Amino acid sequence: MKKETIIGMGVVLLGFLAVSFSFGAEPIKVGIIDTYTGPATAYTFDVLDGFKMAVNKVNAMEGGLGKKIEFLTRDEKFKPDIGLAMAKELVLRENVDILMGTINSATALAVSDFAKKEKTPFFVTFSKSDKITGEQGHRYVFQITENTLMAGRAAAFALAKKPFVKYWIAGDDYEYGHAIADGVWNQLKKLKPVVQLLGKSWWKVGETDFTPYITAILAAKPDFIIVATGGSGMVNFQKAAKATGLAQKVPFYQHTAIELSTLEPQGLDAPEGVYGTANYLFYYPDTPENKAFVQEFRNTYNRYPKIGALYGYVTGVLVEKGFAKAGKVDKEKFINAVQGMVIDSPVGKLELRACDHQLMLPMFFGVTKKVPQYPFLIASDIVTIPPKDYMPACEEIKTLRK
Amino acid sequence: MEFLSSICPPEILCQILVGLSRMTILFIVASGLTLILGVLRIPNIAHGSLYMIGAFVAFSVSKWFGGGTTGFWMAVVLAPFAVALLSLVVERGIFAHLYEREHLMLLLLTFSFALILGDLVKVVWGGEYRTVQLPGSFKGPIPVESLPIPIYNIFLVIIGPFVALGLWFFTNKTKIGKISRAAAVDREMVGAVGINVSWVFAIVFVIGCFLAGMGGALVSPIVNITLGMDHTLIMEAFLIVIMGGLGNVWGALLGALIFGLTQSLGILIWPQFGIVFPYAAAVTVLLFRPTGLLKSTW
Amino acid sequence: MATLNIRGKESWLVPILFILLLVFPLVLTRFYTYLLALIFVSGLAAMSLNLVLGYGGIYQFHHAVFYGVGAYGAALTITKLGYSPWIGFLVGPLLAAFISLVMGAICVRLSKLYFGMLQISLGSLVWAIVYRWYSFTGGDDGIHGVSMPDLIGSTTGSYYFTLLVTAACLIAMYLIVKSPFGSALQGIRDNPVRSEAVGVNVKLHQLVALVIAGFFAGVAGVLFIVVDNSAFPDMLFWTLSLEILIMCLLGGWLTFLGPMLGAAMMVALRTFASTFTEYWTLIQGIILMLVIIFLPEGVLGYVNAKFKQLGNLASGGKA
Repeated sequence: MKKETIIGMGVVLLGFLAVSFSFGAEPIKVGIIDTYTGPATAYTFDVLDGFKMAVNKVNAMEGGLGKKIEFLTRDEKFKPDIGLAMAKELVLRENVDILMGTINSATALAVSDFAKKEKTPFFVTFSKSDKITGEQGHRYVFQITENTLMAGRAAAFALAKKPFVKYWIAGDDYEYGHAIADGVWNQLKKLKPVVQLLGKSWWKVGETDFTPYITAILAAKPDFIIVATGGSGMVNFQKAAKATGLAQKVPFYQHTAIELSTLEPQGLDAPEGVYGTANYLFYYPDTPENKAFVQEFRNTYNRYPKIGALYGYVTGVLVEKGFAKAGKVDKEKFINAVQGMVIDSPVGKLELRACDHQLMLPMFFGVTKKVPQYPFLIASDIVTIPPKDYMPACEEIKTLRK
Repeated sequence: MEFLSSICPPEILCQILVGLSRMTILFIVASGLTLILGVLRIPNIAHGSLYMIGAFVAFSVSKWFGGGTTGFWMAVVLAPFAVALLSLVVERGIFAHLYEREHLMLLLLTFSFALILGDLVKVVWGGEYRTVQLPGSFKGPIPVESLPIPIYNIFLVIIGPFVALGLWFFTNKTKIGKISRAAAVDREMVGAVGINVSWVFAIVFVIGCFLAGMGGALVSPIVNITLGMDHTLIMEAFLIVIMGGLGNVWGALLGALIFGLTQSLGILIWPQFGIVFPYAAAVTVLLFRPTGLLKSTW
Repeated sequence: MATLNIRGKESWLVPILFILLLVFPLVLTRFYTYLLALIFVSGLAAMSLNLVLGYGGIYQFHHAVFYGVGAYGAALTITKLGYSPWIGFLVGPLLAAFISLVMGAICVRLSKLYFGMLQISLGSLVWAIVYRWYSFTGGDDGIHGVSMPDLIGSTTGSYYFTLLVTAACLIAMYLIVKSPFGSALQGIRDNPVRSEAVGVNVKLHQLVALVIAGFFAGVAGVLFIVVDNSAFPDMLFWTLSLEILIMCLLGGWLTFLGPMLGAAMMVALRTFASTFTEYWTLIQGIILMLVIIFLPEGVLGYVNAKFKQLGNLASGGKA
């Protein structure tokens, strides 16, 4: 038995040796690690499709460098250890020039650390952790989404103008939930010192029954509730708000509550009057650029683009323009070219800020509402919050990174 | 309700009612698991996958009938049968030949099914969220005392005892149930008196899986139906079965009750570690009664 | 014992394999060097489980807990307490052994499936605490960028460190299995009643075996930190425990090195299947199913009364 075991191992090793001689690839190679299984796909499929759309356009008309962009996807199934191994495989074996992806913050942070060591640019396309470009930021990582700190501050900016005084905070008891809630509350207190916090409730991630929490909240009679949920908690909480009648009694805010990813699966059952923020709405702003983007996306995939589509699309554009400006496939030159770059997008001009590699996105604040045109709710009374009003200043980032 | 809330503050009452409705889903799934474990001796990790498939089928059926009241009721009725049919194929095709295997091996085999079924669900339904619409009559909170308890939760609390009674009737009053109980204790003897044990096993397996599908169908209107909903549930269901005593349906009811209540009341006491309470309860039970609270069939 | 085969004329293969492994980083690309290191890590975890599962016949269902505790113990000592990594490397396994002692003491009075079930409940409790305790463990984000000494910071450096530590652990485990203690343990597995009758303290032997296995799993956890510089709560989740069990099964838990081979198969399968399909767990599941259905006897033997007969057949037929 033992001889076979050892010989078997030898064969495995020789196999590795044989396939390990690989050659540098001609096209620009992008390696995407993301979660393509489970609840997260509600967001990640659109990132991929948006990116594909940008890349196909480049490939059809020969990009600036005259090189095609090729991409490889890996499904990490929301497991950070596997995601990290996949990032290593993409860089060390496939020699990708760019890494992108990960909705999972644990994977994003681990891959970011690896990207720094390997000096490979890494575009974070959905993880909202503010550590990515904040305290753990570095030269090789870029964040194409808003982060929890930004989302919280944007909401506070809009809420400060509302008449609510007595607040309650509730949310998913994990990093994302706490970060969003702290982001809103710290900024709101600064902008409007009269606000009071009546209490907080935290539930476990994946909680399906919010009724007990809702009772407790109603008993305290707040004017307004800040609900810091993410992922599947978004839809679950809205369903509970509808079923318990909370939505009619006390108004509440959820980041991305007005976003299509949250509203579409609920159809017309979603509660009206929920406040929310989002970086992208396919019907707003009603500009020719956005209309063209929506039209192209619908023609290609036969559905409305959600928020992820914008992130994926912008990443594709940045990769193409970055290499075009760099003039050759060189990672350092690419970073020098892409940081500080301003590009056109469906939501207007966007800058990839040079000081922390955070994309400067406008934030839309609105309230859910039924309209006759769509089989789902959309946002109404939309207010656009420009990035300068809610993004941490470069000096703040510097002190964070020390 | 007036009377209840005079002896008990509404938060606690709500918490208990919510704990009970959570318990119902857990009990329905766990009773199927314990039935299979008791009679067939298979620790079926794929049970959670069947629950998930039940929810996905419920979604498809509800959509097929155009949602609304008809869609919901058809989903609740048809989804468990679809799951039962699938389980019959798996049982006849694979398990029927492997009953004599070591438990550990069967456990890993069912884990391989869980891996396969998980990806197959993705092939069939894709990776996105799915939701089932509640019929109009179930929407909103109960109109009593302004307690924010959804009507659907009350409906679940009512269903639980009926399932328990049905199972009791099956195991105690029907011939197959009696045979299966005998087979659980001594399989050779039942075979020796000329009964086809293999088919009795198949029927028990299918009923157990039917319950998993039923749990999935009943939970479908109140949660997002997604891949991965099997992972958390199966561990909870196993803990319930162990707490109650392997193979004991009433034990599953008791275990589900403990699990549901420690979780919903634990949240009141120490919200941050709310998820720790049920596990701690299970550990405590097993420390003092290693083979579970009620008599195990093993 | 037929389970241990490193003897006789095949033993010369071992040093040759070791020398091969020593020179591999010189000829392999960094990716395969990394992959091999990852295989050693998983393989060591699987072999530590096999110490209690294969040799002890104990149903340790949630072994990943000790792997995770080892990793977190090291990572937290380095990042939160600010001690040198070398101290962290010692803290990890010792903490894992301690947790194993506590859990073992609680579970050891039960047997078979009941042992496994209680152990999995306790393990889930540890997981839940690590997952919830943000301020200390980093919660669901985990711990990243654990800095390593320069010597073992590079891919090649971490490879050699992992290789040497794994080799040392294998030798230690081999000696344990071969020792009187190891024989007693296998005697308990084959016939606990008889062992008890001849005066062996069954529970104590099992507990010691559990602590040793926990310690080596902790070493594997530390090596994960060395190779990947991160720790995640998923390392303590029950699905990983089943994967480690599968490694033992695939490679064959009748053999000493089997779990290592199983780990190589699992890691390679995951890595390469995922490059061409997102349905890689489907492939994993099908392969596992086929192995269980068609190659059951060899791997089942340790619990069956047929064990000896089978073992003799295997060694007799091939030597």
